[in-house]
Amino acid sequence: MITPLKALRKNWFKTLLIFISMTVSISAIFLISAISSGVVGMYSTMLKTDGDIIVTQKGIADTFFSDINRSLEPKIINLAGVKELNSMIFGASPVDNLPIVAIYGVSANRLDNYKLISGIYPKNDEVLVGEKIYKMLNSPKKIKISKQEFKVSGVFKSKIGFEDGGVVMGLNDASKIFHKNASMMLISLEDIEAKDMVEKINNLSDDIEAKTTDNFIDNYNQFKIIKTSSDIISALAFLMGILGIISMMSMVVNDRKVEFGVMRSVGLSSTAIISRLIAEAIIISLFAYIAAIALSYIVLEVIQNIQKFQGYINGEITPQLAILVFVISIIMAIFGSLLPAIWASRIDPMSLILGGSK
Amino acid sequence: MRLKATNIEHFYGHEKILHGIDLEIEPSKITAIIGESGSGKTTLLAILSSLLKPTNGDVYYDDISENSIKDINAFRRKNIGFVFQFHYLIEYLTLKENIALGAFDEHNINTLMENLGIGHLANRYSNEVSGGERQRAAIARALVNKPSFVFADEPTGNLDTKNAVGVFELFKSFNDTTFVVATHDKKIIDYADVIIEMEDGVVKCISKKRV
Repeated sequence: MITPLKALRKNWFKTLLIFISMTVSISAIFLISAISSGVVGMYSTMLKTDGDIIVTQKGIADTFFSDINRSLEPKIINLAGVKELNSMIFGASPVDNLPIVAIYGVSANRLDNYKLISGIYPKNDEVLVGEKIYKMLNSPKKIKISKQEFKVSGVFKSKIGFEDGGVVMGLNDASKIFHKNASMMLISLEDIEAKDMVEKINNLSDDIEAKTTDNFIDNYNQFKIIKTSSDIISALAFLMGILGIISMMSMVVNDRKVEFGVMRSVGLSSTAIISRLIAEAIIISLFAYIAAIALSYIVLEVIQNIQKFQGYINGEITPQLAILVFVISIIMAIFGSLLPAIWASRIDPMSLILGGSK
Repeated sequence: MRLKATNIEHFYGHEKILHGIDLEIEPSKITAIIGESGSGKTTLLAILSSLLKPTNGDVYYDDISENSIKDINAFRRKNIGFVFQFHYLIEYLTLKENIALGAFDEHNINTLMENLGIGHLANRYSNEVSGGERQRAAIARALVNKPSFVFADEPTGNLDTKNAVGVFELFKSFNDTTFVVATHDKKIIDYADVIIEMEDGVVKCISKKRV
């Protein structure tokens, strides 16, 4: 362990470059994964708190475009085993000077989910605003949504960034703005199997599609797009990290040709030489991992507090993500150093005799 | 251990460097390979020490062909030490750590260093000691596993006369080891038991010191 540390210290400049390259790559993986899982997590949490089944328009790719008829509400609520039903409209609209804000039209019973920090629940032509957007709009008494003015009846606080940076209003008001009955219905069940209920609800109309919440989240197209994009960017960051290590380590090996030639001349095995270089890369990756996790926390904190993002970007580094990225960092170090290490293990000791000319 | 080379030929590209050399190295003696630059002495030394594979011919260690040795690294580590013209000590390691680089057993390093007169320099780095002390450390690195052979390429090339003589005095003191030294340092020839004179890739003559 001491020998690799000494070697790294001796070649401190290139060690520093490898460290920076790895830190940037690992941070990129951390950030993109944390932000994408944060976005998905926020939306999932919002949906999961409200029920076991989600009903949307059939075949729709995004809940923003979903339009379902509320006339189905009484039929669904009368099905045996249905405990509660909340209809919602999800939309986005300019609010005052902000170009886009999430708007939630909710039925009266769902309104109770919002914990007020000031004011009262909204009546017609009134809105509740999230704490974050309330501050951004400088504590307004009234706000303009899609050319209509609404009185701010109260302010709520939510851990979910989409809501904290959004506006909540009655379903009827939202219906007028977005010209639809509802985007979705969220249904909570008594102690019965959700799958059976899904079938019963789907039999009620050909225009709707009911799914269990977990099934909906697993198959929601937007989540898939976010997750796939995140995975691709992470893979590219991983690849860039590996390429960075390969190029820097190759330079290191070139600088240290004599050293590896001597090792070969004293009979050290290829495995021993390869192990030494991989150990050096792993040591750098450990330090880079620590730096990356610290850097990612700082960047996420900064992003969360950038007003123009309205709290919609809310990354979270979970223990699972931290472990996964740790494993990825080690793999990056091993793969990145393997080729240069193999090259080092093949350096011909004859080059020492020939004065480095071979 | 006996060392024998038969019909050694070697090419660098199209240029033939060695032209069918046959020789036998006497065990526990100092053999000097001498000759002008370009005579092939360094190439021959590298082939005898297993650092270089000859284009044609065979090297036998105790009648075992080098080609039949499965793990040449392990064989070299156990049986062969090499001293380069430039000491090639690793800068970020102390002298002791340099000597321990390929050592099977690190316990005898202190004694070896004492015997070579560098015991007090164990924790020094190569840039903190003199040229002669560096070369002694390089010799210690070659001797650490008590190999049958030590090959040295111009080991005194960068040393003054006093230090150069010191190196050969050291070689002399290790009676059980066979030393094969490529050199054109005429002062050193006096210390050799056998002298192989090379010219244009062939052995011109082999002379033995009378006892």
